[in-house]
Amino acid sequence: MLTYLLSILVIMGIYMLLALALDLQYGFTGLINFGLAGFFGVGAYASALLTLKAGWTPLLSFPAAMLAAALLAWPLGRVALRLRDDYLAIVTLGFSEIVRLVLVQEQWLTNGVQGIPGVPRLGAGWGNARFSDMLLLVLLALSIAVAVAVLRRVTHSPYGRTIQAVRDDETAVYVLGKEPARFKTQVLMLGAALSGLAGAYFAHYMTYIVPDQFVPLITFYVWMAIIMGGVARLSGSVAGAVLLVLFLEGVRFTRGIIPGVSDADMGSVQLGVVGLVLILFMRWRPQGLFGGRGAR
Amino acid sequence: MSYADYINLVINGLVEGLIIALPALALTLVYGLARFPNAATGDIVAVGGYAGLAAHHLTGSLIVAGLAGAAGGAVASVLAYLLAFRPVIRRSVITLLLTSIGVGFVIRAALGVAFGHDPRAFDMPLERAWRFGDISIAPADLSLAALTLLTLALVFFMLYATPLGRSLRAIADDPDLARVSGIRRERCMLAMWTIAGVVCGIAGTVTGMRTVVYPDAGWNMLLPAFAAAVVGGLGNPLGAVMGALLLGVLQELSTPFVGFVYKIALGYVVMMVVLLLRPQGLFNRPVGVR
Repeated sequence: MLTYLLSILVIMGIYMLLALALDLQYGFTGLINFGLAGFFGVGAYASALLTLKAGWTPLLSFPAAMLAAALLAWPLGRVALRLRDDYLAIVTLGFSEIVRLVLVQEQWLTNGVQGIPGVPRLGAGWGNARFSDMLLLVLLALSIAVAVAVLRRVTHSPYGRTIQAVRDDETAVYVLGKEPARFKTQVLMLGAALSGLAGAYFAHYMTYIVPDQFVPLITFYVWMAIIMGGVARLSGSVAGAVLLVLFLEGVRFTRGIIPGVSDADMGSVQLGVVGLVLILFMRWRPQGLFGGRGAR
Repeated sequence: MSYADYINLVINGLVEGLIIALPALALTLVYGLARFPNAATGDIVAVGGYAGLAAHHLTGSLIVAGLAGAAGGAVASVLAYLLAFRPVIRRSVITLLLTSIGVGFVIRAALGVAFGHDPRAFDMPLERAWRFGDISIAPADLSLAALTLLTLALVFFMLYATPLGRSLRAIADDPDLARVSGIRRERCMLAMWTIAGVVCGIAGTVTGMRTVVYPDAGWNMLLPAFAAAVVGGLGNPLGAVMGALLLGVLQELSTPFVGFVYKIALGYVVMMVVLLLRPQGLFNRPVGVR
């Protein structure tokens, strides 16, 4: 029971980091990132490979995972940020598929579709698996607290007002002598770093990663979370991630008590509900469950 | 690799390009009139695949299968417009884009629940490929390519030689000017969504005949179609077809060098390079704001 509770909390925490990253990019800056799963996967594989193959300590591999994801965001920024918003969506979606294809194909490094087993748990030398999970949860909670604090400072600073201005009226920002593309690239990289961090936690918690864990569906789970919670509000992202995980677990639980329903069917039902939530929220409550300023 | 192998690859690439051209054309039509990239396009293709499969199972006729696929795609497309897109059509691009993702998920879920997740194949007779020296052509590919070409020809005829097509292009060019000229927008939108659905449905039937039908088939077709439409220039129908053919041939020709997995990635890479160097697409004239 405790293990189950622990796993729910860890998964919630990971989705919270992802939701915060997306909220920074979309909610505050108006960047439509459909490639979140790609950055998430890069972070997971970077940290897993660095600890397993290069023997790095997680103390170094976690920042390296953030850096790797952020660096990959840079060329994307160059390609897409001079274009209309919807092109960024297509480009980032394509990017996350490229990441997944590379993970599948470069078997010498990633072991292809078989994935990487035996990613070391955090603090593996100091205690049993339970201890490692607790340690990871504490660190994850700390990371979220730091991320929220930093993002709160950032979004309330002149920088934060600038990125919100980029969202609301790019031309005005331009006229004020600031270059919107620069701010967009920075926000894209910062969000990617957060997603990479989430990926690193994911890899060291699951201890086993395969490319199929980083499909676009994950990206849209996170979109669902921030839309339910309300965009451009940090507390909304956190609440949305909680709702999302409760929903995902609820579906699993329901399958457990209804006999004769196959995994694949339940997967379809889950997908359908995610789709309905997206449609209905966009139509009736674009500001999310808890209302909020800056809603559009 | 002899030259004949390359010619075979080019032929295969042209056929695959023609098939991708259909959803790419649907994407570009929707983008031109409704101004958003419709991520549910692929799933409409899958609906067409199942409709075609069912009709073929019942009648055994390829023509009927194609017509049923077209009808299935059209019904799904118009329903998606009426129920999901029309209520939010005046909102921001992201609202429409996320709605289309949601619509796609709902369609895919419905297909999964209704038909299961096992891939299904058309019951097609096996035919020996025609051989010209070392070059071989499957007769089925040829008839499917002909069906695709016919569909494309009909759509282009409709777009460029009928009053309806003129109205559609007028709305795409300048919605306000079209409205003050007395073009009935709602009728045109319905027609456009029907055409997009028909085109997708036929694509679904044709891909189903070449490979198999399964609920995720459409999603896997979405990104190649996006890539083709962007390479050709979003909103440009001829560009979408040219982009699809270009990518199809390029991907097939690259297979001996990069393998099957990166063949798919190549399409996205070409798309990004095109966006970097010529954001308006290969076949569009430069436009100020994009």
